[in-house]
Amino acid sequence: MDKQIALDIYKKIILSRRLEERVAELIKAGQVGGFMHPGVGQEALQCAAIAALRKDDYLLYAHRGVAYWVARGIPLDKVLCDLACKEGGTNHGKGGVMRVVYPELGVLGESGTLGGCFPIASGAGLSIKVKGEDRVVLCFFGDGTSNRGTFHESANFCAVRKLPVVFLCENNGWAVSMPTERSTAVKDIADRAKGYAMPGEVVDGNDVEQVYKAVSEAIARARHGAGPSLVEAKTYRLWGHWIGDPDSYRSREEVEKQWRRDPIPIYEKKLGDEKILTEAIKQEVEADARAQIDRAVEFMQKQPFPKPESALEDLYA
Amino acid sequence: MRTISYAQAIKEAIEEEMRRDPTVILYGEDVANFGGIFRITSGLKEQFGEQRVFDTPISENAFVGAGVGAALTGLRPIVELQFADFLFTAGDEIVLKAGMWRYGHGGAYQVPLVVRCPSGAAGVGPEHGQCPESFFMHAPGLRIVCPATAADAKGLLKSAIRDNNPVLYFEHKLLYATKGEVPEGADYLVPLGKASVRRQGDALTLVAISAMVPKAMAAAERLASEGHHIEVIDPRSLNPFDRPAIIESVKKTGKIVVAEESYKTLGVGAEIGAMLMEQALEYLDRPLKRVAIPDVPIPTSPVLEKFVIPSEESIYAACRELLN
Repeated sequence: MDKQIALDIYKKIILSRRLEERVAELIKAGQVGGFMHPGVGQEALQCAAIAALRKDDYLLYAHRGVAYWVARGIPLDKVLCDLACKEGGTNHGKGGVMRVVYPELGVLGESGTLGGCFPIASGAGLSIKVKGEDRVVLCFFGDGTSNRGTFHESANFCAVRKLPVVFLCENNGWAVSMPTERSTAVKDIADRAKGYAMPGEVVDGNDVEQVYKAVSEAIARARHGAGPSLVEAKTYRLWGHWIGDPDSYRSREEVEKQWRRDPIPIYEKKLGDEKILTEAIKQEVEADARAQIDRAVEFMQKQPFPKPESALEDLYA
Repeated sequence: MRTISYAQAIKEAIEEEMRRDPTVILYGEDVANFGGIFRITSGLKEQFGEQRVFDTPISENAFVGAGVGAALTGLRPIVELQFADFLFTAGDEIVLKAGMWRYGHGGAYQVPLVVRCPSGAAGVGPEHGQCPESFFMHAPGLRIVCPATAADAKGLLKSAIRDNNPVLYFEHKLLYATKGEVPEGADYLVPLGKASVRRQGDALTLVAISAMVPKAMAAAERLASEGHHIEVIDPRSLNPFDRPAIIESVKKTGKIVVAEESYKTLGVGAEIGAMLMEQALEYLDRPLKRVAIPDVPIPTSPVLEKFVIPSEESIYAACRELLN
């Protein structure tokens, strides 16, 4: 893995984790609304996968944390304004933090219903194919969402039409309170690829290099016209489903054990061993993250709420 | 002027728009190789190639939603559903995605999508014979078009394809074979949101939708022979909805009948009734009458179907009642 890419991914991971921590503080302090589903523990795979995209590729993110937007390079002030449902964000309070959108970077937005992403991703793939472009679509989803009919319909549709779509499953073991082994008939969601004659690969989602490699291969395959792939990244949701989730459905021992697999120290050790990351760089990255977040929070706090009557705008083109 | 069928008019609109704009594509179940189960699209694959005209698996959620995704990313897809009823199969993709994607994302994208929906009772029973326009008239963000003549079938479809919003285009199965004069020329457009006064009169306003239009015209003819000159209004689109045209007519006539091939409760007639209560109550000298399906699914037997679907006779009888 290229050293610069490895370090860039690290910066994005740290920025994402610190932003999420700040967002949690803001929510707990009642400064912003709480419709946020934290992604702590899953940032490594999210940042690594998005690093494998080209600037003009399309992205459909899932509802698990802020790292997708950080990794894609959407300005933090915009993300925070969307979280606060203020002006100055990307959707003028219409969709909140669930619908951060950024056409300039191919960020198509988010489906409110889980699994609504798959047909949209297929359609973006269809556009690419019809126009003869060499872009790709990266579509994130969770283990629970792999049980939606839209996943199966879209996987088949993309496979028969050889559309350039990469399906990336973040298997974090839990769909709110439902463990994967009770919701899902297969042990590995990647096995479902077989049913649609596409490659399916399991990787350790807390290992940046594995994710980057697998997603890069799937993207290359899609870009060269060979069709869709499924990558399953095994990971864990270290925080609750939402800020304030009593998290009563899983044992403290289980969560404790998973904190020992927190991808950040794992990645730091690896980058340290490879002499990419030094203590000085680490401090610099942390300070830079803090400064960026401070600036963005300050910007967000000064932004006005949308005019009430603007609720009537933006419906028709 | 030359005369062509409603079905030919639809095909001509698609053909012209596909020729005019390379971003227009057409797909759905059996549309390419077979030419569609109602044979509207035969020959289009040969003309425009398999990338732009293709068959899909039986996967309404995937391919309707893909229409939204393709529209977001620069295409103008025309998606054919085999039956309008399948809008419910793809309900999330229609109501929550096509209708709300633009709004939910603060206007960042537009969704220039057309979903063609063959509608109407034709001996095909509860799940293949509905005119579900009013269900979707309730949903924000969706344009709803329901042509009754060949000329409108062409002009409205061309406008729908060029529109930057999602359009549900309801083509009534029993109108496919009907013929009418259709202007030639690729620039013939009928704007969305403009009602057509099919027949002028001052005794009563008769609003008729889709296949109810020819029935209403026949009923109006009969009433004219009895000395009652009624005004027949075809809204042509339900979103945008030409409310002023109906209100203006009611101001003149003081009486209104709404004929539609959907369920009576909360149908288009209910919306028109509420609108008149709000905006024109003082002009009504008789209560509104609705001719619609009596809130049961559409039965398959022709005997039963005939009983529930509004007819020339039931429209005539409703008008008669108000005129007496």
